[in-house]
Amino acid sequence: MCMKPDQSRPCWQCGLALLVSGWLLSPLVAHAQAVPLAERLQLCAGCHNPDGNSSIPENPNLSGLDADYIVRQLQDFKSGSRKSPVMSGIIPMIDDKEFPALAEFFSKQKPKPGAKADAKLAAQGKEIYDEGIVGSAVPACSGCHNEDGSGTEKYPRIAGQHSSYVIQQLINFKSGERANDVKAVMRAVAKRMNEKEIRAVAEYVVTLKGAQE
Amino acid sequence: MIKIRLLLLTLLLAPLTAVFADVADAVKSPKGYGSKGYVWGKLLPEQVTVLKLTGDPVRGKEAFRGCRGCHKADAAGVTDGTYPRLTGQHARVVIKQVTEVRAGIRVNPKMEPFSADHAVSPQEIADIAVFLATAETTRENGKGDGDAVAKGKKLYEQGRCRNCHGTYGEGDADGPYPVIAAQHYGYLKREMEYIKKGIRGNSHPDMVRAIRNYSHEDIDAMADYLSRLPDYRQSLAERKGK
Repeated sequence: MCMKPDQSRPCWQCGLALLVSGWLLSPLVAHAQAVPLAERLQLCAGCHNPDGNSSIPENPNLSGLDADYIVRQLQDFKSGSRKSPVMSGIIPMIDDKEFPALAEFFSKQKPKPGAKADAKLAAQGKEIYDEGIVGSAVPACSGCHNEDGSGTEKYPRIAGQHSSYVIQQLINFKSGERANDVKAVMRAVAKRMNEKEIRAVAEYVVTLKGAQE
Repeated sequence: MIKIRLLLLTLLLAPLTAVFADVADAVKSPKGYGSKGYVWGKLLPEQVTVLKLTGDPVRGKEAFRGCRGCHKADAAGVTDGTYPRLTGQHARVVIKQVTEVRAGIRVNPKMEPFSADHAVSPQEIADIAVFLATAETTRENGKGDGDAVAKGKKLYEQGRCRNCHGTYGEGDADGPYPVIAAQHYGYLKREMEYIKKGIRGNSHPDMVRAIRNYSHEDIDAMADYLSRLPDYRQSLAERKGK
């Protein structure tokens, strides 16, 4: 683009070209129009419930998650770096500007205790969660996600999350289908786990309560 | 048909061999010891950066979260030696090891993803290093069976080991040479064997030359002895008290 030496703006020909191309390309860009928070929440509530504690085990609980983590996931759904057949249909409707308020709302919702777990399977999961699997170099989950599953700024809360959802995510990390973990840390862990171990850990995660106030 | 089965078996086992590569048959580092241009002690650009930063042990404890899945919350590792004990390790040693694992000089597939630059930033490496240097544990380390302690002591003291690693296995904070006293027996033995084979990527050439003269039994005896030494901070305090 040509700039006159004494000006920070492009010359009028370039300006016109930009305007025209913008107008021509506009129908190709999905129309995301910001709507008021209350209205937008109705859309989310359809799958995640109004308080972010979803009744459908395949859909994750969002209550109590770190707001930055939620924003990052929404951005990744939008850019396609996190794939989800459901969210890929929903996300084009939401304007990026809405992400922080939505994330803030769900992060402040009170998490409900997880469903009743299979005690025997959960006990096997606890062993992996707290100690890791030394033989196959699986680190203890508690290292990053905390003993109570409350997570940190870097690593999300997982306490009380639906086991079906946790299993699916770990399988997706293992296969590489989910690849929006920064520097492949979670993929590295999941690749070292077999499906039996994944199921056990997921069952234990359901029982975690997170930080107790 | 047999060929297809073999191929399938190889494909199935491939991920396993990748994970356990450093356990069963460790590979020589393409950038490390023995490769062209490897110079021990030549600082990597990232090491220069980290060494200029001031570490904070409180922040370090927080940043250590990403490490404690394997090295445990008290940083004392696993007693069978799969993961080393890091309590009291010199800050510069920690900085050297973390940065050289992530630079691929010390090949460590188990640790590599967790030492990547998202998991720990240069500032966090500096913080973790000072945290570990002062960290203490009440847990016992993994020890050898004790049969070869006398032999191990003799080999350690008559060899040139003490020149760098000290009388008490205290290493050298500036060398930097690692603390090896009270390390897990299994870890000491494994790493000595790696150095002997020339496959611990960031070995000091003098260390490789020195350890070549020792048999597997000798290495076992030294590991036994070193694992039975007390925490070097205790040894140094006792010497001071005398």
